[in-house]
Amino acid sequence: MKKSPLLLLSAVLACLSLFGCSEQKKEEAPQQKKQEGQAEAQKEGQAKKTDAQQTLYIYNWTYYIPDQVVKDFEKEYNAKVVYDMYASNEEMFTKLKAGGSGYDLVFPSGDYVSIMIKENMLEQIDRAKVPNFKNLDPAVLAKIHFDEGSKYSVPYMMGAAGVAVNKKHVPNFDKSWSLFNREDLKGRMTMLDDMREVLGAALKSLGYSVNTKNLDELEKAKELVKQWKTKIVKFDAESFGKGFAAGEFWVVQGYQENIFLELDESARKDVEFFIPKEGSAMYMDNMVLLKNAKNKELAYTFMNYIHEPKVYAQIVDFLMLPSINVPARDIRTVKPNYEIADLDRSEFKEDLGESLNEYNQVWQKIIVGE
Amino acid sequence: MRRNYGPIYVAPITFWLCAFLSVPLLITLSYSFMEKGLYGGVELHFSLAAYKSLLNTAVLKVLLNTIIIAVASTTIIVILALPTAYYIARSSKKNILLMLIIIPFWTNFLIRIYAWIAILGSNGLLNSFLLSTGLIDSHIQFLYNRYAIILVIIYTTIPFAIFPLYSTIEKFDFSLIEAAMDLGASKKRALWEVMIPNIRTGIITAVLFTFIPIFGNFAVPQLVGGTSSWMLGNLIVRELNITRNWPLASSISVVLTSVTMIGVLFFMRSQSKKEL
Repeated sequence: MKKSPLLLLSAVLACLSLFGCSEQKKEEAPQQKKQEGQAEAQKEGQAKKTDAQQTLYIYNWTYYIPDQVVKDFEKEYNAKVVYDMYASNEEMFTKLKAGGSGYDLVFPSGDYVSIMIKENMLEQIDRAKVPNFKNLDPAVLAKIHFDEGSKYSVPYMMGAAGVAVNKKHVPNFDKSWSLFNREDLKGRMTMLDDMREVLGAALKSLGYSVNTKNLDELEKAKELVKQWKTKIVKFDAESFGKGFAAGEFWVVQGYQENIFLELDESARKDVEFFIPKEGSAMYMDNMVLLKNAKNKELAYTFMNYIHEPKVYAQIVDFLMLPSINVPARDIRTVKPNYEIADLDRSEFKEDLGESLNEYNQVWQKIIVGE
Repeated sequence: MRRNYGPIYVAPITFWLCAFLSVPLLITLSYSFMEKGLYGGVELHFSLAAYKSLLNTAVLKVLLNTIIIAVASTTIIVILALPTAYYIARSSKKNILLMLIIIPFWTNFLIRIYAWIAILGSNGLLNSFLLSTGLIDSHIQFLYNRYAIILVIIYTTIPFAIFPLYSTIEKFDFSLIEAAMDLGASKKRALWEVMIPNIRTGIITAVLFTFIPIFGNFAVPQLVGGTSSWMLGNLIVRELNITRNWPLASSISVVLTSVTMIGVLFFMRSQSKKEL
C-alpha cells in the first residue's frame, strides 16, 4: 500500500504524456515519415550509382516546385535531387538551427533571409553563376530591403495574402479590407491566424507600413482588428479553405493557392480573389545557399535553371501566381489570380527584430482580450 | 533465500519514465528559467522573465477559460459516465457494450473531430435537417464557440471515465444494496449512500483520467473553437512556434504540470486516508 500512490502517479503521468504527444504527432508523422523514407531510399539509390552523378539537397515549401521541373532538371544535368518539405519558416529555421544540415538550397521568405544573414548561415551569391538573374523584374528587385542588393538571395516567388469571396452569396462587394466590417456577413467570414497578416491588413487600411515600429500606429491597428473580430467566425490558417469550399464561409483572408487547391473547376468561377486596394503584407520567397552546402556548383546550376523563362513559366502556371521573371510573362499560358500591378501598394514583410515582442503583445490582446 | 526479481521487473518502465518523462520535464523546467533567444531557443542566463510574464492578464484569462472548460466537461463526463458504466456492469451483454465504446477509437482522433464539424457546421447535417423541417429559418452557429469545444471534448474523452467506473462498479458487491434496502433505505438512497462511497476509487480515477488531458488539450479548441476560446495548450504551441519565446512556453508547461501533479497528489492522499 505504501508504494502504490507513487506507482499510480507515475503510471497516470506516463499515460498522459503519451496521450498528449499522440495528438500532435498524428498531424505530422505520416508526411514526415514518407519524406524520410523517400530521402533514404534516394540516398541508397545514390550510393549504388557512379560518382559522376551529383546530388542536390533542397529544402523547400510543400508543393512549391512542380515535380516535372525537378525531373527535367535531373535529366538535363544528370543529377539527383532530394526534395524535403517544410510548412513554415519557423519550422525550417528551427530545424536548420538545431543542426539539421546536409541541405544545399533553402527557400526562406524575406524576413527569414535577413535573420539567416544575421545569424551568418548564408553564402554570398556569385551572380556570375546565375546569369538568368537578368530576367528578374527590376521594379520588384527595387522593393527588396531584407537583403539590399540581393547579395545573399535569388528571388523565387512573390505574392500576398488577399481575400476570396464567394460571389454566389456575396454578389456586391468593395475590393477593400473594410469588407470584414460588414454587418450582413457576420458569422460567414474568417481571417488568417497569423499576426503579421492580420495586423498588416489593419495597418495598411489605416495607411501605415506593415513593418511599423510605432506603437501608436500599432495600437490603432489593434482597435481595427478588434472590430473585425466581432464579425468573423475565427482566426484560422489551417481549415478555412475547406470551410470556404463547402460554402460555410463566404469571405476569407488567405493565400490564393490554399484556397484554389480546395475548389474544383466549376466552383472556381463563383470565386473572386483579390488583393485589397489598400495593399497587403507581401512575401518574397527566395533561394539561398547555405554556408555549409556541399554541392554549391549544382545549386547554382539549379537556381539558374529555375529562372530559364520556359521553366519559370511552367512553375507560375502551376502555382497561378504572378511572374517576377519578365520573359516568362509572355510565354505563360495560365492567367494568374492576380498581377504584379495589384501588389503596387503592398509591402514586403520584414524581420521585426526586438519589436516582435510588441506585436506579440498586441496580438495576444486581440486574441484573448484585455 | 529467494532472489528478489523486483528491480529487474521494473527496470524497463523505470528506463522509459526517465528517458521520456523525467528528462524532458527537467529540460522544460530548466528552459523556463533561462533567457529567450531572439530567434527561438534559449540563452544560458538565469532569468525569471518567463514567470513574470505569466502574470499577464492575457495568460490568466486563458488559464481561467481552460479551467472553466475542464471543470465543466469533467463534471458532465462523470455525470454521464456513471449511469452508463452502471448499466454496462449490470447488463448481460457487457462485452458487446464495452466493444461499442471502444469502436470509435479505431478512427483517428482528428477525423472524429472533423466528423463533428460535418455534423454541426452551418451547412452541416444538423442545420440542413432543421432547415428542411422548417424549425428554423436560417442556420444556427453551433460551432466555433466554447460550447462546441466542451461537446467535442466530452465526446472524445468520455471512454476514459467509463472504463475505470465500469471496473469498480463491476467489482462492487450488489448484495450490499439489497441489505441496505432490507434495512429500510429507498433504492435511490441505497445507491447514493452505499454504492457511491464504495466506488470512490473509480470516480477519482475517472476524474483524473479526464480532467488532466482536457486541461492540456489544444487540438479541439484549435479546430472547433472560435475567436476567443483559447486554452493553455494553444498558448504553449503559439509561444513555441510563432513568437519564438521558448522560456515562456516552458514556464506555462511547468505551471500546467505542477497544477495537475499537486491535484493528483492531493486526491490520492485524501483517498489513502479514507482507506486507513
